Amino acid sequence: MDKNILEMKGITIQFPGVKALDGVDFSLRAGEIHSLLGENGAGKSTLIKCLTGVNKMDAGKILLDGKEIAPTDPGNAIELGISAVFQEINLCPNLSVAENIFVGRQPMKHGQINWNEINKRASELMSRFHLDIDVTRPLSYYSTAIQQMTSIARAVDIQAKILILDEPTSSLDENEVQLLFSVMHELKAAGMGIIFITHFLDQIYAVSDRMTILRNGHLVGTYNIDELTKFELVTKMVGKDMDVIFSLKRAEVAPDADYMLKAEHIGDASKINDISINVKKGELVGFAGLLGSGRTETAEMLFGATRTVKGDIYIDGEKIILRQPFDAIKADIAFCPEDRKRDGIIGDLSIRENIMLAVQSRKGFMKPMTRQEQTELANKYIKMLGIATPDCEKKAGELSGGNQQKVILARWMAASPKVLILDEPTRGIDIGAKAEIQRLMLEMCGEGVSVIFISSEFDEIIRCSNRIVIMRDRAKVTEVKGEICTQQDILKIIAEGAA
Amino acid sequence: MSNKQNLFTRLTNPKYIMVYATIGIFFIIYALGGILYGDKGFLTVRTFVNLFIDNAYFGISAVGMTMVLITGGIDLSVGAVASLTGMFIAYGTSVLNLHPLTCIAAALVMGVGLGLLMGWVIHYLNVPAFITTLTGMFLARGVCSLISRESIDIHHPMIDALAGWKIYLMKYADGRWIKIKPIAFINFNVILFLVMIIIGAFILQRTRFGRNIYAIGGNEQSAALMGLPVGRTKILVYGFNGLCSVLAGISYALYVKSGWNLSLQGGELEVITCAVIGGTLLTGGVGYMAGTLFGVLLKSVIPALITFNGNLLSWWGKIATGLLLLLFICIQRFVVTTSDRKQK
Amino acid sequence: MSERRYDFSSLMQSKVTWAVIAELLILLVCFVIRPDFFSISYQPSTGMLYGSLIDIVNRSAEITIISMGMTLVIALGGTDLSVGALVAVAGAIALKFLRWDVLTYTTPGDYTVYPYILVLGVPLVVCALMGLFNGFLVAKGGIQPIIATLILMVCGRGVAQILTDGKQFTTGYSPFRIIGQGSFLYLPMPIIITIVVVLAVAIFTRKTAFGAFVESVGVNPSASKLSGIKAANVILIVFMITGLLSGIAGLIYSSRIMSNDSNNAGLNFEMDAILAVVIGGTNMSGGKFSLAGTVVGSLIIRTIVTFVYYFGIVAEATMAFKALIIAVVIVLQSEPVRKYFAKRAALRQGGARA
Repeated sequence: MDKNILEMKGITIQFPGVKALDGVDFSLRAGEIHSLLGENGAGKSTLIKCLTGVNKMDAGKILLDGKEIAPTDPGNAIELGISAVFQEINLCPNLSVAENIFVGRQPMKHGQINWNEINKRASELMSRFHLDIDVTRPLSYYSTAIQQMTSIARAVDIQAKILILDEPTSSLDENEVQLLFSVMHELKAAGMGIIFITHFLDQIYAVSDRMTILRNGHLVGTYNIDELTKFELVTKMVGKDMDVIFSLKRAEVAPDADYMLKAEHIGDASKINDISINVKKGELVGFAGLLGSGRTETAEMLFGATRTVKGDIYIDGEKIILRQPFDAIKADIAFCPEDRKRDGIIGDLSIRENIMLAVQSRKGFMKPMTRQEQTELANKYIKMLGIATPDCEKKAGELSGGNQQKVILARWMAASPKVLILDEPTRGIDIGAKAEIQRLMLEMCGEGVSVIFISSEFDEIIRCSNRIVIMRDRAKVTEVKGEICTQQDILKIIAEGAA
Repeated sequence: MSNKQNLFTRLTNPKYIMVYATIGIFFIIYALGGILYGDKGFLTVRTFVNLFIDNAYFGISAVGMTMVLITGGIDLSVGAVASLTGMFIAYGTSVLNLHPLTCIAAALVMGVGLGLLMGWVIHYLNVPAFITTLTGMFLARGVCSLISRESIDIHHPMIDALAGWKIYLMKYADGRWIKIKPIAFINFNVILFLVMIIIGAFILQRTRFGRNIYAIGGNEQSAALMGLPVGRTKILVYGFNGLCSVLAGISYALYVKSGWNLSLQGGELEVITCAVIGGTLLTGGVGYMAGTLFGVLLKSVIPALITFNGNLLSWWGKIATGLLLLLFICIQRFVVTTSDRKQK
Repeated sequence: MSERRYDFSSLMQSKVTWAVIAELLILLVCFVIRPDFFSISYQPSTGMLYGSLIDIVNRSAEITIISMGMTLVIALGGTDLSVGALVAVAGAIALKFLRWDVLTYTTPGDYTVYPYILVLGVPLVVCALMGLFNGFLVAKGGIQPIIATLILMVCGRGVAQILTDGKQFTTGYSPFRIIGQGSFLYLPMPIIITIVVVLAVAIFTRKTAFGAFVESVGVNPSASKLSGIKAANVILIVFMITGLLSGIAGLIYSSRIMSNDSNNAGLNFEMDAILAVVIGGTNMSGGKFSLAGTVVGSLIIRTIVTFVYYFGIVAEATMAFKALIIAVVIVLQSEPVRKYFAKRAALRQGGARA
């Protein structure tokens, strides 16, 4: 099993201004699951895109089964036997589940597409993933998890020599992840080489044989899975000590501090049930719960992004009515949404414009800030948050994920809010930037801002929060103190539904 | 669930809702016409068949337009290309004394070539389809005017024969076949229209090329990442639409037996309107030939109603079409939002 | 602000640069063929300046005015197809108020049946409301702009026809003539109106934060809403402005012909306006917009037409000629070509430095 089916040597890819990859070597054996690791911007996705013909390489060569190849486009890569599931779901929402699996290689009969065959085989494939669904319905009809499974099914069915899974588990629940792992093991046993990319360290240890670590476009090294501990792994990924994360201190809240935000019995039958939440001045409250537990819906309601049907919200003791986000901003509430790309960053506008937006929208367009004021504001936060950019006129969309998150954070810090709601601010960004954002969050608490922090990573919530609100099934289960809580406690409460 | 789906579940798939809406509203309006003007002969076979005869050229063009719209593109050049085809035939036969088939061959090269070229510019130079095809429209119209600014009549035995060719609808009575009264017939244009609809439906539903069209309209980037030939498909779709425009131009030439540089002005928007009220989404990814067929009928039944009324200015037809468009857009909107909700 | 570097490479990447180059090239060709193309003379009897350049600007007035609104619509990521129909509607209403009932007022003359303020005011208000209707469908109904405005495009001319009973009125009312044929400060009135409109839109968008809001909503509506921008209001205002500007263009158009022409008034104006905006460098997918670029775009379109007339090229060729030049401009502006030139420029610069 030691034969390399894939060898990539000295891969170099140049983007305007940066070397995305610089002489990276990578190899994959038949019947192996090989994890590819690195922070955001380390070059993992670029390496994958090079292998699938999306990006052209400037130097280096790729050997597949000993023969040199140069994939020109994804179609060509598939023909060569390289099949990929990309990070974002790359399927067509208007086509049926079955068709998404087979489009481009539909079975034909008498010169026509054989629809019966397609639907039959698709059903079989999906049932392999224990999904008993109507495969003739449009893909958009189904949840993200099923869509993700569909794209995995497509990649698996192509019968490739190499399967690439780029963050396939981000929208899957624990059971689905286990299912995926068992399929991966089957494929591995059949001799396929699998490249697996994920941010979840546990999953790497659960499933892979070897791992390759990249940092800033350079190769750090390739290791067997038992060669490195998690701590060593993280250190290698980040390239510096992780002490900074472990040195964070919880916000100190005066025992007699006033309640800054009070939400009483808010809800909307179709979204969340009767939730009451209060946050003191300078306090950090974490929302823990699984995807779909109602944490995002609660946050959106507190920001007026969705209408509150019943219940009252008070800021600093004053009752407010939230019809739209604008009302919340007027009431000094700020909100960093979960989906940074869709709801947060305005990619084609400059960093300056992105940062000044909330301040300006609060003033209304008739009272504009001068260009000078905007630039000063932007530069102040670029410096304060350490946003990596040559100047404030760079397009925000061209920044890395972590820097984009900092820009959004700057947008809200500039609006000097009393309450800051952060929905998954650290998702999909690298560990260094994660620590930075946690530190900023806590600093703001120190300045008297009340923060609501939502995250799927419970260790992060426990580390930062004064109090933790645990949610399940669109309702609040209980509240616990941050200091005396462990991940096991939270999981137990979520599983059992009571304190 | 069973793999072999029964007809009922297949037909109740929510993706067909818009097509059903088109068909339903067509029959409602048709029935309304029957109630109002039934005594004047609105319900006769002749009136119904005339809907086809008077709008076949729009229908033929709508076949190609539907495909272009499904890819998420648009083609504004169809009216001008059809008009140019008419000019080719008229000028070629009447002034240059060429055989009509030569003219048609030249028109086909022109139409398909322009379509392919526009597709290439749209895909490889990344110029918006709206702008590219608008330029194509200006070009075709300009060439029309260069050929002649006067309307040219077409006189050629072959064209006359083709235009005059008709199949009378018969009924069996008293032991023999007789023509139905009032006399109704279908002509070459109607057959061409129906054949194009069938070809279009076959391409869309039964070939990989057709399914690639839907995939590109659903999400072009995904289609590329799934390894589908995005560029080739897009270019061919515009080429096919060029073919449809030429056929529509031939059909229009047969209908009016002349060529005029300003004929079919604004025709592209009529064709797009047909497709939209037939349930095709301008955002791409959704559309069916059956819907387009009824979209053409629905759009043409309104002028028919106004003619039967006799007192209304023909301009009410435009307003009615606008309102119909509004109605369909609202239905589409409703369907989309409800299916979005189902997902959650 | 001064930190912003305008190096050669980024200048070559800018679409506006290419638009300006194209316009200058066309003018240069004009100058080479006929050096008197640039001559401007003063006619004391009318108090106006005359010349091809004046004529280009004068005749481009309607498109320039409409395309100011269209720029904002396109920056929002939409298109407004209804502007041409609104031009017809504005003309129909104005003439309706000037003549009202042709049976009573049988001969056109220097009179108006209704007060002049209504002749000008009602068309503008109606057009603004029609724009608002478009905006409402887009902002509140969530309908794609191209479809939403297709409705009024299809039935707008029908409305214009029905308002005037399908008839064409003419008028001789001299205050109405001033709009399209009068002069002010030696310049034809349409030019003055255009300058006022361009300045007004520029000030409204760039001296307030409205332009930034439009760009923000155009790039990412969802994120803009969550940043507190009332996106629906932005959309409503933009479509209303476009409707209003179409009304102004409609008044100029009908004042030029002193008549209403529901069939041909504003025909293909939507196409020309969209072209002007795109040639001017604003991306059809929304985002950053350039009003100056749009003005250049509009001038390019008109220069081509004037060129054709002026040099006695058969008038029939106008359309084809226009298409060819536009095709060249658009291909030059296309992403791959601009990237190619920018790369070459960068290489040359790099070479010079080394």
